[in-house]
Amino acid sequence: MSRALRTAGVVAFAVLASGTLSGCGAIPQPRRDVALEQAANPTDVAEILGRYREVRNTAISLLDPKPLSIVETGPVLAIDTGSFDVAQRLSRTQPEDERQLQVTSVETPKFSQYPLWFMVTAFDPASRVDVVQIFERLTPVDPWLLVSAPQTLPSTRLPGLRHDGDHVIPVAAGNGKGMSMSPQRAAASYAKALASMSGSSAVARDDFIKKMRTAFEQANRLEGVRVTQTWAAERVEHALRTDDGGALAWVTLLRLDTYTVQPGIKVSWPDGSPQQAFLANGISGSGKLRYYHQVLLHIPGGSEGEPRALGHYGGVVSANTQAALSPIPAPGSDPLSPSDPFPIPGASPGQTTVPGWPNILPTPTPTDDEDSEDEDSEDEESDDESED
Amino acid sequence: MQTKVIGTAVLALGAVVAVLGLALMAILGPDGRFTSGPHPVDVDGVAVVTAPTVISWKNVEVEILAELPASKPVFVGVANSVDVQAYLKGVRRLEVTSFETPWKLRTRQAAGRDALPGAPTAVDWWRAHSAGLGGAAIKTRLPDETVSAAVLAVGSSNLRGLKVTIAYGLQGAFLKGLGLMLGGAGLAGAGILARRGESLWETDEATGADETWEGDESPTVILPRHPKVQRIAPHPASTQSAAAADADEEDTADEEVHEVYVYVDEHGVEHEISAEEAAQYEVVDQVEQIVEAAAPAPAPEPEPAPESESDEPVTYFWVDENGVEHEVTEDELHEFELYDEDES
Repeated sequence: MSRALRTAGVVAFAVLASGTLSGCGAIPQPRRDVALEQAANPTDVAEILGRYREVRNTAISLLDPKPLSIVETGPVLAIDTGSFDVAQRLSRTQPEDERQLQVTSVETPKFSQYPLWFMVTAFDPASRVDVVQIFERLTPVDPWLLVSAPQTLPSTRLPGLRHDGDHVIPVAAGNGKGMSMSPQRAAASYAKALASMSGSSAVARDDFIKKMRTAFEQANRLEGVRVTQTWAAERVEHALRTDDGGALAWVTLLRLDTYTVQPGIKVSWPDGSPQQAFLANGISGSGKLRYYHQVLLHIPGGSEGEPRALGHYGGVVSANTQAALSPIPAPGSDPLSPSDPFPIPGASPGQTTVPGWPNILPTPTPTDDEDSEDEDSEDEESDDESED
Repeated sequence: MQTKVIGTAVLALGAVVAVLGLALMAILGPDGRFTSGPHPVDVDGVAVVTAPTVISWKNVEVEILAELPASKPVFVGVANSVDVQAYLKGVRRLEVTSFETPWKLRTRQAAGRDALPGAPTAVDWWRAHSAGLGGAAIKTRLPDETVSAAVLAVGSSNLRGLKVTIAYGLQGAFLKGLGLMLGGAGLAGAGILARRGESLWETDEATGADETWEGDESPTVILPRHPKVQRIAPHPASTQSAAAADADEEDTADEEVHEVYVYVDEHGVEHEISAEEAAQYEVVDQVEQIVEAAAPAPAPEPEPAPESESDEPVTYFWVDENGVEHEVTEDELHEFELYDEDES
């Protein structure tokens, strides 16, 4: 056989073999495991974030919170709705170049059943803070919605998250393995620490707790005004395992401030404050302010570390006032009692805060108007009643 | 012998690969797929879905065609089992719990409501989906994750009279089969060549005979290497029997190899140098010379001294490093190594 013929034969063989074997990666083969796993894929995430930004920008440009209900739900929608309402009343606008959230990272856990969720870290140029968001899909027919968005200072470093391949690892609310306490217990302990500075605490008394307690004590020093405050933690739905064996938990806290004002005195808030936006006529007799606070809690790994808040987002979501001489409602029928459920998100206005909660104190002034009743409170009461 | 074994192995491998390719082409045909159906499915609900364990392959090209009578609307889709299971939770459905080719099903009926939680066309997690009146078909490659296939009624319709056709195969299977067959044939051919003892490529010796070295025009640092093989043991040239082979082997053992390194200067004059010095130069040529040692004369018959040589005077020369010859007397001869001019 001539050399040329042999060479041609070998080349042809190599070409054919490589052509055939190039598809080896796609050769049908049985899968080793039949695991039920699902996670948001990068294409979905990019689409979800794009849609969120578009709707948010529309809401900002219109100064109208209604479009937000397409992309947000729960406490974060209530807080954002309140912030838009305040901005609307105060005619505050935001420059267009400050509306764009700059996404810095996306982390997707895997789940064997619904709901599915993922975490996004983004920089908000308007507030100059980092936002640690959670997007969730409750059922296969629901859209992806923003459910939590605590904010951290840019100088705050989040703990590293533990990965399994490309995905982060979710932690169940009641799972305290490797930590001093479970995320749910940490949330309850944090709420307890916010309610009282006295006694021992299982959590670190961080800046957020100190500011809340300081504001509460200052309000109680007002002459003729008595303020009580209750805190409660909602069920923890979102927590991720950190590299140190601990967890990063998104905790939603409910806060109820109850004002009891002596007859002849009216409590009012400074112009431009969120409370003033809700209670334009102040409080005469008694009044209640409800808040949602979303806290990013780090529960360190090991048995020693104390849970500590890394970020926060919250604000007023509803307010009620009652004249001093109003009849006392029957037990269990008071829609403003602390045990009542919170109103449907979006049904009442609220306020946005950033890390470094401002101490906005009410001012007591003498008044003759004992029958005044805030317009918003009437709406709120009717909403609550219809809920009940 | 070893070449024959390798050749046989390559030939066998080539034959197997070629048969595999041929089988692939024959089974899947020119469109590279196997089709089964249409098969009637007795369903009394709004959904037929496969359990997560049913589809346990990946990279298979799958086609599903669902047909309903009277142009009823129907939907076919494949998606991650987590999505499909959550979507059909609480819906009355027929669940396929096992499937064997070409068409052997095991099913179970799950109770629930006769309505889907939302329009299947409105959700975004289907990997492949299609909807139509009277029929719908999808074609997709199974991914490396747990997926389920679903046939769903659309709107207030139902799936009575459902017929399903499935096809599965490998994309470009026919061409892949052809490639395997030809590749196998090539391997078999190479095996046959190897068995015959033929080389796929011509050896260097054969090719070198035709080629001429153009030479290095550089006048300096050229170091030819002259290994000289001197046969020391006497070679019994007259041996004709089988003992000759044994004698050859013994002779080989007596061979002595001398390596001489020569440096050729710019004038073309050769200078012998040591191995250590040679290491500093580039070896440009190797020359092998076999020098037959003079066969010793048989013992009984001593070699007669040549009469003519004894009468002639012997002249000795010393060749210096420049190749210049200088005459040397017999008294000075002990200072030099004797080198017979005739042997070179």
